[in-house]
Amino acid sequence: MSLLNCARAANENKTSKKKPESKPLDAQNDKSLKQKNSKSDQKVSNEMSNQVGIQYLPICHHYELSVVIGKGHSGSSSIFLAKHLPTASLIAIKKINVEVWDRELSYIQNEIILTQQLSHPNILQLHCSFVKGHELWIVMPLMAFGSCRDLIHAYFNSGLPEQAILFILRDVLLAVEYIHQRGIIHRGIKASHVLISKNGQVCLTGLHNSYNTIQNGKKLRKVHDFPIHSVDCLQSFSPELLHQNLAGYNFKSDIYSIGILICELANGQSPFSDMPATQMLLEKLNGTKPKLADSTTVGDFIIDDDGNDDQPGTTQERADVIFFKRTFSQNLHEFTSECLELDVVKRPSATQLLNHSVFKSIKNRPSSSLPSLLQPVTPLTDLAKVPRDLSAEEDDFTRKMSEVSMQEDWTF
Amino acid sequence: MPLFGTKTKSPQELVKSLKENLALLPNLKEKEYKKVSEEVSKTLQSIKTLLYGTADQEPATEQVAMLSTEMYQSNTLPLLIQNLARVDFEGRKDVVAIFNNLLRRQIGTRTPTEEYICLNHSVLIELVKGYENQEIALNCGMMLRECCRFESLAKILLNAPEFYKFFEYVEVSTFDIASDAFSTFKELLTKHKMLSAEFLEHNYDEVFMHYQSLLNSDNYVTRRQALKLLGELLLDRHNFSTMNRYISNPENLKLMMNMLREKSRNIQFEAFHVFKIFVANPNKPRPILDILLRNKEKLVDFLTRFHTERSEDEQFNDEKSYLIKQIKELRAPEEGES
Repeated sequence: MSLLNCARAANENKTSKKKPESKPLDAQNDKSLKQKNSKSDQKVSNEMSNQVGIQYLPICHHYELSVVIGKGHSGSSSIFLAKHLPTASLIAIKKINVEVWDRELSYIQNEIILTQQLSHPNILQLHCSFVKGHELWIVMPLMAFGSCRDLIHAYFNSGLPEQAILFILRDVLLAVEYIHQRGIIHRGIKASHVLISKNGQVCLTGLHNSYNTIQNGKKLRKVHDFPIHSVDCLQSFSPELLHQNLAGYNFKSDIYSIGILICELANGQSPFSDMPATQMLLEKLNGTKPKLADSTTVGDFIIDDDGNDDQPGTTQERADVIFFKRTFSQNLHEFTSECLELDVVKRPSATQLLNHSVFKSIKNRPSSSLPSLLQPVTPLTDLAKVPRDLSAEEDDFTRKMSEVSMQEDWTF
Repeated sequence: MPLFGTKTKSPQELVKSLKENLALLPNLKEKEYKKVSEEVSKTLQSIKTLLYGTADQEPATEQVAMLSTEMYQSNTLPLLIQNLARVDFEGRKDVVAIFNNLLRRQIGTRTPTEEYICLNHSVLIELVKGYENQEIALNCGMMLRECCRFESLAKILLNAPEFYKFFEYVEVSTFDIASDAFSTFKELLTKHKMLSAEFLEHNYDEVFMHYQSLLNSDNYVTRRQALKLLGELLLDRHNFSTMNRYISNPENLKLMMNMLREKSRNIQFEAFHVFKIFVANPNKPRPILDILLRNKEKLVDFLTRFHTERSEDEQFNDEKSYLIKQIKELRAPEEGES
């Protein structure tokens, strides 16, 4: 049933009030059920379609900044919670001070231009971007749960529950399938680039490292380019990308990164994060496969206290207890292992992975079930509840003071 | 190689269907429009696959040849660009992919698509005007930059009155469109050295009158990029005569000296690279020399303290010391000339 319903829901999303013919068990949310299909690009989320009517203009006084809710680009951009004044809706604004930005301007320009060329419910869209003074403002939808990295920091120090991981994974795969079909390799898939909205919609972001294989009127079948400014992403890179040999790499490189992402989500910590980059490279090239930490694999893990700031005072025992207590499904273990397959040919594509049996358990469930799985973490929906943080504005002020010129004018 | 079967349309059929449906689009209303537009997108996708191949299949040469010939003969390319805004979001990207692929096509030393566009200027002009429509601006930009690779097409673009529209486009408030327009603008002025040198020389007054507005723009990014490009253009030896003309005008020197003292350190730095040419010029016209002399002490003092933290940038420090030395040695001609 869902395929037919879905096609209709996508076409007549706004007007469709008809009741669905056949109903699975949990019928209380029939609107989202109609829209739901695990494989379809056409999954239209409510919040996205609501925003279609709103025009976000590149006019600075339409937006009121509130507080910093995140950092991006290795800390050189700040993400603000903000209000779109004409509609009083909450949005997010990424601010980059271009004057102190130490990278090529084209780096950020390419990211924005590329993102503007993508349109998928699971890829974070940009409403608009404009220059204000020395700053670049990028207006985006508010992803009220923040990134998956934020979730891990906030509560899930030892990892997210399996069901939550599956919802996240499904949406990430849909996004990756979409960009791969369009010839783009993401090259930066990791927990901090996966964002969740208050309705549980998962969006992939962080396209600044991505690579377009359609160039000069040709489609490249292998790529050798190594992403610049990628120190933060090294852990998630595939062995073949790191290897930098003549064989190059392709779309499957992203699939490996998804494997690392699953480990990060499940274990609360990215594999290889406790070792120097060179050792990580060796481990990856030797085919060491990271695993999900649970009762079946706990023997393989040595928890390193110093390497893990997320859990102040955590001891080996506590971690052991948590890992002992839970057991991820055999399906998820296998899924992860397939993603992390060293042999690129054996590693499945995003489309193949979307058909994996691991998603059976959430097959008829929409993303709107995700927020309940993330409790006790709550989304950021109320400006008043946010503690005020003026550090960013102070930054600006001190900078302005230091810029004041103390010399007399030229004589012309 | 596409499988034989009833479903696969021949290249000729694809182009024919595309052309017919594109011609219909402007006059259709909602429901029929949607249907035809979907058909257009489907055809575009098939054409794209034919040109680029799939994951496991390389494109088939004969099919590609048939398709391109049909595109030229049926004049579908101009129609495609004219109707770009009527094609849906994903379809537009396919248009870009198709256009760029055709443009790269070579038969021996010939590039037939380039030849075709040379005879059909309207395609280029439509693409430039595409920057005025948010929906298609970035798509048009990608195709334009591909056109810029060909000297003949770049020449048409530079000499078209529409070229001066770029001075507006690079300043629009939407950052991505302004950025994209700037990279096309820059490509046009730097890609083919001889061509752009000649263009700048012959159109000096008009170009630099417009350029001035970019250097004075309220938009920080525009100003910074324009200043950087100015430095690159003047320092390119192909543009020697343009440079000479530029550094003879005292107004330009004043502007650069003021920019040296802008709040933005990046602007200061870029301005330095233009300012240095004025000082290094062995044959400074009198008005230029006068300004430098009038500000001699201030300049020496200013430059000594200018960006001192760049201690690792050897070239910059060498240039700076050279400028300081030059300025210290400046003499009014009465005494200076032997």
